[in-house]
Amino acid sequence: MSRADSGRLHSDREELISRAFVTLADTLVDEYDVIELLNRLADFAVQLLPADAAGIVLGDARRELRAVAASDEAAHVMELLQLQSDQGPCLDCFQSAAPVQVADLAHAADRWPTFAAAVSQRGNFRSVHALPLRLRGRAIGALNLFRAVPGPLPEADLALGQALAEVATIGILQERAIHRGEVVNEQLQLALNSRLIIEQAKGVLAQYGGLGPAAAFDSLRHYARSHNVKLAELARRVVAKDFDLTEILAPGQAPHPPQ
Amino acid sequence: MAEFGVVTRALLAIARDGVDDRGLAMRICRACVDGLGVDGAAISLLTASVGRQTLAATDETADLLEDLQFTLNEGPCMQAARTGHPVSVADLQHSSEVAHWPMFAAAVIERSPVRAVFALPLQWGAVNLGVVDLYRREPGALNDEQWRDAITTADTAALLMLGLRTEPDEGQGDWLDPTVAHRAEIHQAAGMVSVQLDISTAEALARMRAHAFVHNRLLIQVAHDIVARRLVFTQDME
Repeated sequence: MSRADSGRLHSDREELISRAFVTLADTLVDEYDVIELLNRLADFAVQLLPADAAGIVLGDARRELRAVAASDEAAHVMELLQLQSDQGPCLDCFQSAAPVQVADLAHAADRWPTFAAAVSQRGNFRSVHALPLRLRGRAIGALNLFRAVPGPLPEADLALGQALAEVATIGILQERAIHRGEVVNEQLQLALNSRLIIEQAKGVLAQYGGLGPAAAFDSLRHYARSHNVKLAELARRVVAKDFDLTEILAPGQAPHPPQ
Repeated sequence: MAEFGVVTRALLAIARDGVDDRGLAMRICRACVDGLGVDGAAISLLTASVGRQTLAATDETADLLEDLQFTLNEGPCMQAARTGHPVSVADLQHSSEVAHWPMFAAAVIERSPVRAVFALPLQWGAVNLGVVDLYRREPGALNDEQWRDAITTADTAALLMLGLRTEPDEGQGDWLDPTVAHRAEIHQAAGMVSVQLDISTAEALARMRAHAFVHNRLLIQVAHDIVARRLVFTQDME
């Protein structure tokens, strides 16, 4: 690669990074949609970092972890595997409030036998990097990066990943309310319940439109974005059947890949 | 690893000895009064189908708070039900929150000794099961631990109430395990069945639980089959 090429790549990446943070900042306006913010963060993590998939887990008021956003179904499944087997890097990251890097999952059987076995059976990822969503020395969740190849994550990428995790924390807790402890649990519970409303709406749309849950989610998300409505609010109306579902599923609404 | 507060533990210990909706609501209210340092509690339903009704109130003051909200058509309970967000007002005489329901706040101060109110929505995704209202005679917020306990209590109470309403026959099965009740597939499946049978998601859950019970399967297995379209509910099913 010529120096000119590498210079251009470098500035492309910088432009992408600044665009990501501007978009995220734009998302943090009044009445913004936390789940949509977290979904965008997961998408940006995949675009900006050497990760093939990304997901975000949050602890509820009992400190049980729950998966709330993912760049794709594979990342979601990886997180569920950990939550179900009650072990894995994202749980350790959540408990220690420190990054957990697993450069090669093939060597993780000693530490997390059930999880490692389930991962190797699926065979789509070889390394995981879990970054904490931190607040006052405690983790409220984790951003998980999954890669198809083994190897460590470069220091600069780790720092950028952690910055994305901080944005997620601010987004969940709302900056102005962050100093009131009670608000933390409140916001988390709200975000987690919003996720459940969205899952119910995915089911309604999937059945109505003969789609898979992932395609139903894409339609829902695309409609919310292009009509500037909150994802959770739209989902609530879909579940209440207080919305013309054909509008969301119309061919003109075919989901486009995120920018 | 889960951190359960005192009230949540008390709720989980509630034996399922044939208690009905109102009986269960009263036990939840009493557990809140015993464990959260509040003077009274009430649970009301605010759904469109059932209409507004108070299921349980631990005393006359708690009952009055519900009545005032229904009469004035405003208050923390309605705010919580509408937004899905808990409401905490540590001092009714000094809070910006009361701007959302000025008539209710004025009436409470005039007609009752209540000085602090807290309202927690009972919900399972989009399913609204009612609201827990708590009050104190002295101004003062719930401390962090009490508030966390109150939020997990509302979560557990919602599962208990929904469990009762969607009871297949006897026993809760795996229902009351929050890690089961919050699984994405169960919510997706409830959404799908609600379209298959043209019913609400709460009713869809009841049908899924009944199916699991009759066929001696776990709810999560039934949900998997629905999402994978191996199982489709029809009107003339058992």
